This record gives sequence, structure tokens and C-alpha cells, in this order.
Amino acid sequence: MSALPTVVFGSRSLMWWGTLGFMTIEGWSIALLLVTYFYLRQNFVDYPPLRTPLPSLLIPTINLVILLASFIPARMVQRAAVRLDTRAVKLWLLPFSLLSLSALVLRWWELWALNVRWDTNAYGSAAWVLVGFHASLLLLDVGDTIGLTTFFWTRPLPPKALPDASDNSFYWYFTVGIWIPIYLILYVGPRIF
Amino acid sequence: MSAGETPRDRALVPAADAPLPARATLSDDVLAAEHERLNALWSDGSGFWAWLTTVDHKSIAKRYIVTAFLMFLAGGLEAGAMRLQLSHPQAGLLGPDRYNQIFTTHGTTMMFLFAVPMMTAMGLYFVPLLVGARNVAFPRLNAFGYWCYLVGVVFLYVSLPLNMGPDAGWFAYVPLSGPEFSPGHRVDVWAQLVTFTEIAGLVAAVNIIATTFKLRAPGMSLNRLPVFVWTELVVSFMIVFALPAVALGSTFMLGMDRTVSTQFFNPAEGGDALLWQHIFWFFGHPEVYIIFLPGMGMITEIVEAFARRKVFGYTAIVLANITTGFFAFGLWVHHMFATPIPELGQSLFTAASMVIAIPTGVQIFCWIATLWAGRPRFTTALLFVMGFFFTFINGGVTGVMLASVAFDKQVHDTFFVVAHLHYVLLGGAVTPLFGAFYFWFPKVTGRMLSERLGKWHFWLFIIGVNVTFFPMHLLGLNGMPRRVYTYLRETGWGPLNAIASAGAVIIVAAVAVFLVNVFISYRRGEIAGNNPWNSYGLEWVTASPPPNYTFMYPVVVRSRHPLWETSVELPVLTGLSTERREVLVTTTMDARPDHRHNAPTASIWPLALAICMAVLWIGSIFSPYMVLWGLLISAPVLIMWSRQSMNIKSTELVQPPAGPIVEMVQA
Repeated sequence: MSALPTVVFGSRSLMWWGTLGFMTIEGWSIALLLVTYFYLRQNFVDYPPLRTPLPSLLIPTINLVILLASFIPARMVQRAAVRLDTRAVKLWLLPFSLLSLSALVLRWWELWALNVRWDTNAYGSAAWVLVGFHASLLLLDVGDTIGLTTFFWTRPLPPKALPDASDNSFYWYFTVGIWIPIYLILYVGPRIF
Repeated sequence: MSAGETPRDRALVPAADAPLPARATLSDDVLAAEHERLNALWSDGSGFWAWLTTVDHKSIAKRYIVTAFLMFLAGGLEAGAMRLQLSHPQAGLLGPDRYNQIFTTHGTTMMFLFAVPMMTAMGLYFVPLLVGARNVAFPRLNAFGYWCYLVGVVFLYVSLPLNMGPDAGWFAYVPLSGPEFSPGHRVDVWAQLVTFTEIAGLVAAVNIIATTFKLRAPGMSLNRLPVFVWTELVVSFMIVFALPAVALGSTFMLGMDRTVSTQFFNPAEGGDALLWQHIFWFFGHPEVYIIFLPGMGMITEIVEAFARRKVFGYTAIVLANITTGFFAFGLWVHHMFATPIPELGQSLFTAASMVIAIPTGVQIFCWIATLWAGRPRFTTALLFVMGFFFTFINGGVTGVMLASVAFDKQVHDTFFVVAHLHYVLLGGAVTPLFGAFYFWFPKVTGRMLSERLGKWHFWLFIIGVNVTFFPMHLLGLNGMPRRVYTYLRETGWGPLNAIASAGAVIIVAAVAVFLVNVFISYRRGEIAGNNPWNSYGLEWVTASPPPNYTFMYPVVVRSRHPLWETSVELPVLTGLSTERREVLVTTTMDARPDHRHNAPTASIWPLALAICMAVLWIGSIFSPYMVLWGLLISAPVLIMWSRQSMNIKSTELVQPPAGPIVEMVQA
């Protein structure tokens, strides 16, 4: 048994299961918030309500493009980690950090792009909490990515750092993926329904 | 074969009926030396600092259990105060405001601070032992969960004497709990307390899921998993899907309505009072099954051990537990029958609330069949199982009655519901829990609890519960509402209330006997060996109490009852490092050895992060900007935690060469 490996990737690793657990909890929370958004809709004739402007599309769409673009360095980091290429991981972590940090910064303007305050009406409250809750996920993962980048560039690392980088990308896919329905429902939806 | 698996991987662990390769038995000298090395390696030190930094699941779970039991006592004192106040008409012990705080704190304490933490704590202690693991999957996260829970406990019990105890009921319905009708911070205390306990619960659930799937002993395929582990697994999944609802509702919706004027529950701005009830009960109904299902698992373990035969219908019991877990999410509206929800919805939830009795019934019949066909030994633990049958079934029957909308509309918000919920909670959770204490106390402490005192405890408890809560059915049918601080003599409710209050005294006596039993037995109880009950599970392999490393070697499991199939020698795998902490990670379905994982050492950062969370969440009820401060102080703590985990001196990335690895040790 001393001959068994000590570093593994994907569903063989404990950290992957922890990440999956966290994703399930956060993903389900967002599902509940979306249900709340639709539940409150039955109290209004129009949604957004009359005299509440529609959310703007410009900054949210720019941010969506940035988030989708960040898939590329995230995927590159994961593939490099699995083939144990520390140098490639280090390099791809840089654009990954940059793009994810930009998305986080733009998130502040995305909140105001809702064109309604959180305390104006129930629609505003639901929209702000949806975007704000997802912002907290962004904050955590951007922090994780930047932290990993710093570790990779500043110190010799144990082999377990590579599965950590791979799991960080895994979590990023979720963070971006779960934003897509929120973007569609909050920013695009009112223009269609 | 799954990806990455080689034919040799399959050969590493034999099937149940395959003969084991001939191996040497490990000598006593080898075992003694190994014990010394491993015990030192897995020790988190001693003294106060060690207590703050330990990541040993046994230490963390023990303090969880003790804290949760203290909460049971606190909730019991609150109940005692209520029973004293209601024992006769127009008593003057508690005024209305104090009474509101007491019944709210009683419910909140029992549901959030006793029941769920206790059940997850029993899982955190016993799941690794039952599956043959040295620790849970995420030991530092485990510590963080406990500290968050402790913050919640302290927060509530500091607020109560400061007249800041929550007073809007344990489920804090809006608009009563909203900013207009509950100014001040009482309900904010409730909302943030819920958040702390939800964090702790979610963390424990993720730990239990990962431990159960990945850290099982080699050969313990899923169909060989002990039923208690199945129930903890099902409950952990339920926690993952139920607890976010109340965390969102309490902090992000109600808390924000109260502090930053969101409008979730304000009908004037499109908000909805029923939204709160849906969100809360979507959590609240699975919550009671989260409390009840581990009790079912404990009963199966006790029944198997003391019927001295395999449980009848293992597959049916496992499927019943899983089914109950799913169905529990489809019942929540039965708490809302007195609200204007559509009739079709009411019918649907009536049907679902009745159907859920079926899988529970299946389990009960399986246990009866096991006892009937076995040679039962009526130890105190098994007596508590008998008590469960009597009490819980009573509560289950009144539950099916309440499932009917027509009946519920008559008794909603009366003491009939109080009777039902206490019968199912005390009968379905506390009674099995006491049984489990008698069953597993020898393993945790190395000493047996007194059977004589145990039998006094049992009879006083069962009689006390029934004397206290049976009259409440009649009080409810006679119209006595819940949550009233007193009543008039003319209502005629006095005599039944007096009987109920007398019953409460008997319950107090029962718990006192239990506490005496624990204190005496802890020091002077009969010494338990590894396996005092001659039971079959892996937890009885290790010493009582278990050493720091719990299992010297991973045991090779060849059936569902490892200790009943071999009484002399136990097959184990050798090769885990004695230079650094290692656990064996196995595959998810069949538990074949997969890799060695470097387990973490002691750390202060979980406690530090819990303190930062306390600043964040508690501070936020006084000023929203405290969220920013809380995040600011959390960031360096998270960095330090990551740095510590990145400092591991692991070295190799080798692939496995050949190697026979099965050794034998004395059982």
C-alpha cells in the first residue's frame, strides 16, 4: 500500500468532493433565489414593475463576455495541472487572475445596472440579492485564484498544489456557469416576457 | 473498470468468497511499536492550545456532543419554566414578554442548537469509526464548523439575559418578525444564530458525504455499509438541500428587510408574507427528518447488536431511508394548511404527508421481524428501542391525522400539534439517542454505563414523556391554543395542564438519573474492552477509547458484519506512512484502495476564521458596514490557512508497483 500514489485528480481526490459539495450548496441557493424572484412576480402586473426601468444590458453583457473568455485560461490551467506541467500552470494562472478580477470589479457596476435600488420594491430586493449573492461567490473564487497564483509564483510547492489548481478551475466553471441563467433571467428576460 | 484502474487494482481486495492469500500474522512487538509511533504522530498535543487547535474528529465530535447536550438541558429548563407557568390558570411566574422569549428560545435551542448538531456530531464521531477511517475527510473544516456552532450558542445565551432574546417563535413568521412589529435586535439575534448553525451543519454534511464515499475501509462496498452510515449519508444530502433555504431566508431576506430595508415581505411593495413561510418550511420539514433519520440508523445498529442476528431486510431499510429523505422535501406545505393556498396544493401535500409513513413503517416491521427471529438481550439500549416503538408510533399516527387538511384546520395552532411534535421528536430522536448513548458510551470512554441506573432512566423517561404530552392531545382538542402565557380557570384546561406539568417533573428526574449515571460511570464504570457487546461493526475493532490514530491499519472488509465472520484474526492492509499522517482513500462504489492522502495537522485558523465570521454576522445586525470589516479581517486568516495547508512536506508522485499487501492482525 505504500506504493499507492499520493496525488490524484478529479473525482478520485477528496478536495474535488469538497468542491462539488460547495458547488451544490451554492448552486441550490441560487436556484432558491431564482424561485423567489419568480414567486414575487405574481404580486405584480408588470415585472419589473411600472415606473421601474428595465436593467441596462451594456455592462452586464461586457462582463458576461469577460466571464466566458475566462473559461480559456481556466481550462488551460486545469489541463496543465493534470499533466503535471507546473510552468504552464503558472503562466496560465496570470490571465486567469486578470480576467476573473476584472469581472469582479465590473460586478459593482452590474449591480447598479439593474436600475433599481434594493429597497424600492420586492423586485429590486430579489434582483439585488441574486446579483449580490453571486458576487460573493465571485469574490471567494477570485481570492482563491489570486492566492493560488501568488503561491505558484513565490514559493516551491508541494505536489498537492496541482490538484488544488485543477479544483479551482472546476469551481470557476461552476461560478461562471451559474451566472448564465441569472444574466438571462434578470437582464434579458424582462425584454422578452 | 473505471478510468485509471488497472487489473491489478481489482486484485488488491478480495471478494467476499475468495480465499485470502496466505500472510503472516503481525506479532505483538510489531503492533506495540506501531502503536507508539502512530499515537505520537496523530496526537494534536495536550493543554489549552491543543484544545483550541485539534483536528481529531473524536475530540471535536465529543465537544459537539457535550455542547449539544448542554443545550438540551438549557432547552429543558426553558420547558420547565413554561410548564411551571402553565401548571395552573393565571400563574404569575412569567409575564407575556418573558414567556414569548422563553418559548422562542426553547424551540430555537432544541431545533437549531441541540437536535441537528447532536445528530451530525454522532455522525462525525461514529461514521469514520463505522467505515474504518482514521479521520473525516476535511478535519480543519470540521473544527471550523464546531467553532461556528459555539459562536451561535454563546450569541443566543448572552442575548437572553440581556433582554435581547428572540421572541417571535422559533420559526419567526413575518410580519410579526419584520421591522415594523419587532423593532430592536431580538429577531436579528435569531436570524444570525440560524446562519451560524447552518454553516456548521452544512460543513458537517459535506464532511460526512466525502468521508462516506471516499474513506471507507477496503472492501466495504456500498451494500456493506452500516445502516447508521446510510442514514447519516442521506441526512447529509438533505442538509445540503434544506439548510440553504433557511440561511437565505433568515439572513438575506428577513435580516436584510430588518437592517437595510429590502422589501421581500412587505406587501405594500410587492413582498409576500407567504414567501417566508414557504422558504422556512421548505427547510423546516426536511429539518425534522434530518433529526429523525439518524435515530432510525441508531435503532438498526442497536437492534442488530442485541437481537444477535443480521437485521431483516437490509436492502428494504436502506431504500426506506433514502425514500424518506426524498419524500421529506415534498411535504412542507402541510405546515401552511391554514393559509390561502390552492386546494389542489392542499390535497397534494395531504397525500404526500400520508405516504411518507410507508417507508417508516417498512423499517419498523423489519426491526420487529429481526427481534422476533433473534435472541434479544434487553439491555438498556434495547429498552430505549422498545420505548421508541411505543412513543414514536403514537406521534406518527397523530401526524397522519394532522396530514388531513380538514382535521388540521381544527387543531392548527393548538396543543394537539405540540403533543404530536413532541411525541415524534422525543420518541423518534431523543429516545433512540439515549439508546445510542448506552450502546456507544463504552466505545467513547472505555467504561460501561450502569444498567441498573439505565433502567431507572428509561422507565422514568418513557413515563414522564407520556404523562407530559398525552394530555396535550386532549387540551388541543378542547381548544387550548399554542404560545399563550396563561389561560382562564373557566376554560377548564387547568387539570390537564397540571398533569402535564407533573410529567415534566418526571422527565427532569429521568435526565438527572442519566447525568448521575454518566458522571459515576465515567470514573468508576466497569471497564469495557474493545467489543463489550460482541457486536459486528468496525468501531468495535479499535480500543475503547480509540487511540489518536483510531485504526492502526485499514481493515479489509469482506462482508457486512466483519466481526461476526472472524473472531480471531482480521485481515488488514499495511503500508501507510508512520512519518506523516496518512489516510487510505478508496474508490466510491467498491472501496478499492486508490491513493494515500496526507491528512492535516492541528491548526488555529479554523477558530480564527470562526471569530471573523462572528464579527461579520453579529456586527452586521448593528451596522451593514461590519460586513466589509468582517471580510477584511477574514482575508488574512484565509491566506494563513492556505499557507499552512500548502506547507506540507509531501514528496512523491509515484505510480504503484507490484506488492502483496494483505496482512493479518489479532481481532
